[in-house]
This record gives sequence, structure tokens and C-alpha cells, in this order.
Amino acid sequence: MRDRRRYLVFNVLSEIAVDKYKLLNAIWESVYSLYGDVGTSEIKPWLIKYDKTGIGMVRCTHRKVDELRAALACVHSVGGAKVGIRVIGISGTIKCAYRIAGW
Amino acid sequence: MPIFFDLNVHAYPETDVPAEVMLRTARNYGYTGIAITNHDDCMGAGERQEKTHSIYTGVEIRTKSESELNRRIKHYYSSKVQLIAVHGGDERINLAALKDNRIDILAHPCGEKGEGTLNRVLVRYAAENGIAIEFNMNAIINNRRGDRTRILTRMHDNLKLVRKYRAMPILTSNACSIYGLRAPREMIAVAALFGMRREEAVAALRDVPLSILEKRWDKEREVELL
Repeated sequence: MRDRRRYLVFNVLSEIAVDKYKLLNAIWESVYSLYGDVGTSEIKPWLIKYDKTGIGMVRCTHRKVDELRAALACVHSVGGAKVGIRVIGISGTIKCAYRIAGW
Repeated sequence: MPIFFDLNVHAYPETDVPAEVMLRTARNYGYTGIAITNHDDCMGAGERQEKTHSIYTGVEIRTKSESELNRRIKHYYSSKVQLIAVHGGDERINLAALKDNRIDILAHPCGEKGEGTLNRVLVRYAAENGIAIEFNMNAIINNRRGDRTRILTRMHDNLKLVRKYRAMPILTSNACSIYGLRAPREMIAVAALFGMRREEAVAALRDVPLSILEKRWDKEREVELL
């Protein structure tokens, strides 16, 4: 059965432009170190899109939004550059999430 | 729009970020105001920032001896500093600070790496004297594994004591740059990691800071009347 999802649109404030794959690693590392393998499998985080302007979108299951938000907040550096991530909006559909992100 | 404050932020001259830049970022994140609390053993601590309504001038006293702490509290209480915090961690300093009702915030009582502790005696003093116990988010954000586990355990214990004795918890970022700031909702989510409920976290970001600032406004008004 397909589970219900939430799409989190976030903004990355960083010293220098952040590479997508390095950001992806940082998010994974943060989620893993906070919740472990079991917790991560329940959250099911997935980076959908990240563009050069610093706006990105991640997906998770609909009951684990706060957990993913905490994990995003705990990302403090990406490839040596300091960053701060802030969630701008949450949506239940990818179409609406794109509208929030302004893509 | 709710009113949120971050009452422990370090800015120029302690770090190289000007206070206005900090405020702009904090405003973007949804805060109403911030307090710049630079350590007092660095240059230019407690200096009045430019007259902006949303930046409060505070000081974080960092010392190793109780008598020195007492002397500095006296000095800053009589000057125009709006907010007095004490750099906690050491148990003797925690005790000396919480016994003194001129202080507003005990910053990171469990130290930067979770080495300090609070006990029921200390928290009872905090409740009596109206001193807010700080839960600093930067310790959770910047540490990993063993260190973070220890810090979360300490914060969990502190939160239990704070609930039992009805002391005031306060959530702050303790940020040294704009990248250390986190939006209120993220702070609430991170606070949930050590068991803080949503309502408690909202109160720790809104009601407690407001009450601290109001206490100070009352004092200033009294001085003006005299």
C-alpha cells in the first residue's frame, strides 16, 4: 500500500554555494545519527530536488514531519561550509510543494 | 503572528558578524527580537548597540571564581545592561549564579559538552529567584554521537527538574554566526528530541523571554521615575 507523504520545502543559508550531493550526504548523516537505521526507515527521507538558489525539497512519511524537521535543523555544515536549513513550507502534494518553492 | 525571542546570540565584537545582520536573519526566521550576549571577558561586551528596538543588550559573565562573579554581577546590574546571563557548566558557578536574583539567565547549565549537572537544590533556587534555565540548541546541532547523547541526557534530566519545581526553561540558539540561528519551528522540533512538549517549547521561546524583558523594562522605568 502506498503511504501518505509530506513534502518539505526548505531553504539553505550557506557561506558558499552548496553542492547537491554533499547536501544529500549531510542530510542522510544527520538523520542517521539522530534516529538510527530503524528510525530512518520509518521516516523514509528522500531528497527530490535542490537547485542552485538554495531551495530544495525533501519527502517523508506524513507522521514523521517533526522528526525530519529536527534532523534538517541539525545539519550544521556541508563540505566544510557552515549552513543553516530552514523549512519554508510543507505540503501533501508535490504540485503544491512546487508552488511553495516557486519553481 | 506569535512573538518569539532568541535571548542568547553572540555578535560583533566577539564574532565578526554585526548585530544588524543577525537581527535581519532572525527577523526572516520569524523572531521579533534578539539579545546580544557577548562574553564579558571579550572586548566590548555589554556595550549598547545602536538604538534599534529589537536588539537587546546583554552580557554573559564567564568566570571561574564566585567572588569575581559577584563583583561583575554588581557592576553590570548597576550599568545599562538589559540582560545578565552567566556562563554555566561548573557546579560551583551554577550554584553561585542561581542564588543571585539579579541574574536573568543561567546559560548552558550542563556545559558545552554536557559535563555539568543541575540538581534539585539548584533548580529550586532558580524557581525562587526567577532565573531562566537555558536549553541551548547549538550544543545539540553541532555535536554528534557520544557528546550529543550526553547533552541530550543532561537536558532530559534538567527538564524533569524544571517541570517538578516549576522553574522557567528558555530555548536559545547560542549562535555565533547567522548559520547558527534556527527558526522557531525548528527549535521546537529539536527541543522535542529531549522530550520537551510543543506547548512548553512555545512558552520557552515566547512567554519566558517576554517576562525577562518586562522585568528589565520595569526596572528601567523605576530608575527614570526616581
